[in-house]
Amino acid sequence: MPSVLEPIAIPKRTVKRETRSKDRLAPTYYVICWNDPVNLMVYVTHVFMKLFGWERQKAEKHMLEVHEKGKSVLVREGAEKAEFYVHQLQHYKLQATMEPAE
Amino acid sequence: MKLVRHNKAGRAYLLNENEAASLRSLLQQFPITANVPAQISKTDADPEAMEREKLLNESLAEHRKELKKQATNLLAAKKFKEVQKSYLLTLTPEEHEILLQILNEIRVGSWRVLGEPEDLEPEVPPQSEREWVFYNLMELAGYFEASLLRALDGDLQPGHE
Repeated sequence: MPSVLEPIAIPKRTVKRETRSKDRLAPTYYVICWNDPVNLMVYVTHVFMKLFGWERQKAEKHMLEVHEKGKSVLVREGAEKAEFYVHQLQHYKLQATMEPAE
Repeated sequence: MKLVRHNKAGRAYLLNENEAASLRSLLQQFPITANVPAQISKTDADPEAMEREKLLNESLAEHRKELKKQATNLLAAKKFKEVQKSYLLTLTPEEHEILLQILNEIRVGSWRVLGEPEDLEPEVPPQSEREWVFYNLMELAGYFEASLLRALDGDLQPGHE
């Protein structure tokens, strides 16, 4: 045990600055395409290629996911771009929605 | 419906009399259904969903008006040129895309009127004349859509049906 009292140093109060994550600054959204029995598979593939500029293989992979699993997450984007894609997909009469990513 | 020519300027199709009459009839009838409110989200997680949905529905209504205008343009006599009992339909790439959207809106609209059935080829035939009409519209729009898409994919080479 020390015989001399050590000065009590009051620790400086540090203000914890909250670091805001990128996600918090700009929330992101999943653009999801949902299955329906009416849109032709070739049409869905065509729309994905046209809107996202995807190669056929990638477009078909997502189209099959929609067909077999009921939905496919197409892209993750900021609100504005996600909204744009949903508008475009719905102009083509595909069932598309945007859902918060976290 | 036969693709007879394609280049950067667009594609030309030869349609027999029945096909030309059917396609013109589809274009004349567009839009066949009233606006159906669209959803922008399937969850309640986005607090701005209501505002976004309002914008989406405005955008869809505006787009529909534009498609109606384009459908009228496509019906112009110069688009369907008579060639020895057949009709030559020439479409720019933009018109090709617009026609696809119009046809799909007719197909999806008819499906909605029919109550969004899971089975598009029901074992029991449609019960009413109205149902027959919408099943036929759905089929017909799908036939032309598939023809246009085959041509885009290169499966339908010039000269083949």
